[in-house]
Amino acid sequence: MRGNKSIETAEVMADVDLVLSMNGSKVLKVVKHQRANGHLVWLSAHSHDLPIPGPLLPGVLYGIFRTSYRYRPHCGQLLSPTEKFSMLHAQVPRRHLNGGAEFNLYATITPRSPEKKNTFGPDAKEDAAAADDDNDDIMASELSTAPALSTPAEHLFEHVAPEVSPSENEAQSQRRSDHELANIYEIARTAREVRQGGWKRIALQFPDTMLGDAPWVVQALSAALQSLHTEAESETGSAPPKPERIYILADTSYSSCCVDEIAAEHADADVVVHYGRSCLSPTSRLPVIYVFTQHELDHGAALAAFANEFPDKQEKVIVMADVTYQDHVPRIVAALRSQGYANVLSTAIKHDPMGRIPNRTIISSSPDGDDTDADTDLDPKDYSIFHISAPPTALLLALSSRVKSLYILPTTTTTTADATPTLPPAQRLLGRRYARLLSLATAGIIGILVNTLSVANYLSSIDSIRAQIAAKGKKSYTVVVGKLNPAKLANFAEVDGWVVVGCWESSLVEDDSAYYRPVITPFELEMALAGDEKRVWTGEWWGGIEGVKPPVKEEEEEEEDNDKEEKENGDGDGAAETTLDYGDIEDEESEPPEFDLRTGRLVSHSRPMRMAAAAAAAAAAAPKKGSGGAADAAVDGVSSPLSGALALRPKAELAMVNGVVSPGAEFLRSQRTWQGLGSDFSAENDSTAMEEGRSGVARGYTVGENSERR
Amino acid sequence: MMERLWGDNYFNPKTKKWTKNGTYEGKQLERAFNQFILDPIFKIFAAVMNFKKDEVTSLLEKLNLKLSVEDRDKEGKQLLKTVMRTFLPAADCLLEMMILHLPSPVTAQRYRVETLYEGPLDDEAAISIRDCNPKGPLMLYVSKMVPTTDKGRFYAFGRVFSGTVRSGLKVRIQGPNYTPGRKEDLFIKAIQRTVLMMGGKVEPIDDMPAGNIVGLVGIDQFLLKSGTLTTSDTAHNMKVMKFSVSPVVRRSVQCKNAQDLPKLVEGLKRLSKSDPCVLTMSNESGEHVVCGAGELHLEICLKDLEEDHAGVPLIISDPVVSYRETVNGKSSITALSKSPNKHNRLYMTAEPMEEELSKEIESGRIGPRDDFKARARILADDFGWDVTDARKIWAFGPDTNGANLLVDQTKAVQFMSEIKDSVVSGFQWATREGPIGEEQMRSIRFNIMDVTLHADAIHRGGGQLIPTARRVLYAAALLAEPALLEPVFLVEIQVPESAMGGVYGVLTRRRGHVFNEEQRPGTPLFTIKAYLPVNESFGFNADLRQGTSGQAFPTLVFDHWQVLPGGSPLDPTSKVGAVVLDMRKRKGLKVEVPSVENYYDKL
Repeated sequence: MRGNKSIETAEVMADVDLVLSMNGSKVLKVVKHQRANGHLVWLSAHSHDLPIPGPLLPGVLYGIFRTSYRYRPHCGQLLSPTEKFSMLHAQVPRRHLNGGAEFNLYATITPRSPEKKNTFGPDAKEDAAAADDDNDDIMASELSTAPALSTPAEHLFEHVAPEVSPSENEAQSQRRSDHELANIYEIARTAREVRQGGWKRIALQFPDTMLGDAPWVVQALSAALQSLHTEAESETGSAPPKPERIYILADTSYSSCCVDEIAAEHADADVVVHYGRSCLSPTSRLPVIYVFTQHELDHGAALAAFANEFPDKQEKVIVMADVTYQDHVPRIVAALRSQGYANVLSTAIKHDPMGRIPNRTIISSSPDGDDTDADTDLDPKDYSIFHISAPPTALLLALSSRVKSLYILPTTTTTTADATPTLPPAQRLLGRRYARLLSLATAGIIGILVNTLSVANYLSSIDSIRAQIAAKGKKSYTVVVGKLNPAKLANFAEVDGWVVVGCWESSLVEDDSAYYRPVITPFELEMALAGDEKRVWTGEWWGGIEGVKPPVKEEEEEEEDNDKEEKENGDGDGAAETTLDYGDIEDEESEPPEFDLRTGRLVSHSRPMRMAAAAAAAAAAAPKKGSGGAADAAVDGVSSPLSGALALRPKAELAMVNGVVSPGAEFLRSQRTWQGLGSDFSAENDSTAMEEGRSGVARGYTVGENSERR
Repeated sequence: MMERLWGDNYFNPKTKKWTKNGTYEGKQLERAFNQFILDPIFKIFAAVMNFKKDEVTSLLEKLNLKLSVEDRDKEGKQLLKTVMRTFLPAADCLLEMMILHLPSPVTAQRYRVETLYEGPLDDEAAISIRDCNPKGPLMLYVSKMVPTTDKGRFYAFGRVFSGTVRSGLKVRIQGPNYTPGRKEDLFIKAIQRTVLMMGGKVEPIDDMPAGNIVGLVGIDQFLLKSGTLTTSDTAHNMKVMKFSVSPVVRRSVQCKNAQDLPKLVEGLKRLSKSDPCVLTMSNESGEHVVCGAGELHLEICLKDLEEDHAGVPLIISDPVVSYRETVNGKSSITALSKSPNKHNRLYMTAEPMEEELSKEIESGRIGPRDDFKARARILADDFGWDVTDARKIWAFGPDTNGANLLVDQTKAVQFMSEIKDSVVSGFQWATREGPIGEEQMRSIRFNIMDVTLHADAIHRGGGQLIPTARRVLYAAALLAEPALLEPVFLVEIQVPESAMGGVYGVLTRRRGHVFNEEQRPGTPLFTIKAYLPVNESFGFNADLRQGTSGQAFPTLVFDHWQVLPGGSPLDPTSKVGAVVLDMRKRKGLKVEVPSVENYYDKL
């Protein structure tokens, strides 16, 4: 990506660092923007149900949107002349806004002159004149009245008020003072670390809810960096270095808890500052500064809740919190100890998702006041956990089997909505996960969803998952669809189930009943593939790719499996079958079907690739054996019935595409009544001999070089 | 003599002649049957039960019966049993009757082939079955799996209808879902051994020609309960035996020790093989479930599972009834759902289907594989369907053969054939997990009223339509007075008149409803027939025993589905609502039933 970017593009990106666009109540987020030539910006975006971020903010591009048919732009308007960013305002036809389709923005940006506002396109001039002031309120009110549009289909659907959950609205609902913001976003610490690292290009990654504050953070951060520079200058007297460039990564490709390294590399960034809650999965390429954006907590209420839950002062409890509340933990633990709770342990953040408590290390305090890392010598099973704020479901599931009990202290954001009481207990959730993975045990085709491009080892994990699936005689397809939704996955109707390769928090698809096929995590897949003879479900659970075993070992195990299976098959008859086994039966006899635990039936399609694999293995084995001279005669005896004898195959064998068994094509052939106008795998049109065509002029064509005219 | 024992034939002891005339010299004659058969039996009864030793001895002498010494010392009931066993040995009689009266396979298969065979009656297999031809292609129906001494392995027990089965023969094993030309449920495998199964004994045998019953070794892994074995590539299945009981009571099982799970799973597999009426599956909340025909049946199965098949300690939940979701009325408005990209719209309505039709579908008499014209004729003639509608049935669901129908009622809509697969997939999905409590739907007819589609194929793919079809089906069902169906047992109770009050008391308390009561002629016993909801049947036996001091003997068998009375399932305060709430909690779903707004999109 770094290679093919022109300098021009980079400049434009600097002009529109954060691109938000908006139509009435809907906010669109622009995800791609590019400069085609001096004045052309081509953008694509998809819609989000976000609220209007209060008064319009500087630095925000309210863009013109069109469907992918590339209409000409409608109108544009520059909103704020005071900022260094250009701004553009337009309306999007409603019907294009729903459902996450991609839009292209196609607009002309004229360079801004210092006195006058920039205008966009011919229509924009009147609008720009109307909004002459910098007053934000006026601009906001203007937005609510839509300019006339050429597309009448706009009124096709009724206006639907955007549904925004209170927690999502959080960033916008409370306007905070600059001081508060600076605290929340830890501007000073970030600037210091950036300065120490000497990074020049900084990418800021925000979750959707915090995007409203993004411009402010950019300003504050650049100001802070500037002041650091001036300090350094005055101290050392060195020449002023080039100022840092700050980019906002407005949309994460997969999930906001992960660092989006790819987006950062688009901006050629040296460092990513990640805001908001994070899964702390190790990244592979870029250094990351995590800013957890601290939230406030009512300590009195928390202590009261704790006392209520654990009346016994000797109770063994570990206090932990969501990363956004983590800074309260030491203080609360201290307060608890002063109240007489002797066995309360504190936690600290540690970048280790595979730890006994993911991403946390347990800290005990010895009597003399020293905090020591007690992670190694205690068993979390003896302890209850007091968790401040609702943990993500993945954490809930992972913890539920590792500790004695889990108490969740609801925080303000969740108490307003009645989300906590309806949340089923972890045991039920785990049960549902088990049901999901059982349905994948007999799946013939498994899709691997690549849901991360930054978590360390994701490529090797994909490889090993693929190998695991292949070893079981199943077919895998690898698919990248960006953020998951049911519609995207249902497009692949032939896939019987999905496994997500992603960070440990986002791999778990909550509310999965809307999905046509089950979506499970790599850990669960391993369970599903383990086979009925080995599967043990203890309640242990993990969401991420960290536990994926390397492929080699898996194959060995599989071979063992096969041996065992064969032995079992041969159990009843002893010698009679082993002699038969070698002959022509080998490739013609079917393998026994598998018992589907979910439906209680036998299914035969759970290992579509088994036949192909067996054939390939036989082919590979033949030359190996052939090398040993003494074995030659035996090999002939064995291989001739395989290759020589013509066997009548049943009509309905697996579909092939280019000589490879393709369960996907088989699905299309056998399960679909509608197959379109042509297909790749029909063998109807046999090739015919090539003929030379006629050539020459109309007066008389010839065939070949020297034949007579026709 | 035999012939004269039946009907109005009389033997006049005076004249020593047979006559058709019932009177002789003004006196009524005994019928020959009474005189020669019943009289001696009654005499024996009277003599034995009244302890008239000498009379018994003389009777025995007359009948030429010899008893062993210790038997002669017996008294009362014991003696009666012994005497009758020697006088009229039931097993021998039955066997004799079979030999004399049941037709031989050669005769029987000639006229029974049409009820035995699914395929056309003029193909190779059918002709061979008809002739019971041992030289024709093999046709063998496996009806049962019999456990062997080798743990976990089974004999496939079945009857050869044509051809000859022998060891080493490579056969096509066609499971119940096999359709000719497809390879689903079709396996090819050599038979390892053929055995003759006689009582408890098993004897190896080289081959077995048509008309006989045989046990097969080595194909048990390919069959769950029953199946067809053949050597003909074109053969269809033999008709599957339908059992009148269906698994309506379920209990979930869990192993006490998580490490035992593989054993439990293996045990469940074996259990479902060894009993034709048991279904083992797992539900959405991750529990392994065993479904049986009734409480008692299930108890025995679970005992087997715990002690024999799995051999690990189990935690067994209370019995639970499986419900079905249905509708009571027609959708109040046409349901509409839009695809995620808003470019496609599906309009559907739901309405209840005739109960008779649902039963026909469930019994397999009407099914997705029938010729659509013949099926439409039946639907139109017997169930009053519109013929054009009846011809445009898109699918049966769930599992492609359930008792819900998807009917295409659109007129002149483009691309319908293209979206059919997606909509049918959504239909199968939705009918498998209904909107109210993720129970199967039953007896609902869904009509596709209209469809608007995007002009580009890419925008009306499966991704857009499968979830949409599911949503619109849910919306249509929720708009059509949804209801729950509960299974109902048919109870037959034999009870003396004195204890009948107790029976009625117990039945009334359990929502039972008596529809027939008659006295068994010649006895003081009454037979009471009643319907009893399965949900109320748990502990019924014990309760009945208590209520009648052990004098009543009930038999319970699943009979039909009925609407669960007591309000709408959507109203959590009603009785049905409480059942739904409970169900959803158990399954780990959100407790409140999603409202129609979740699935219905405004225009």
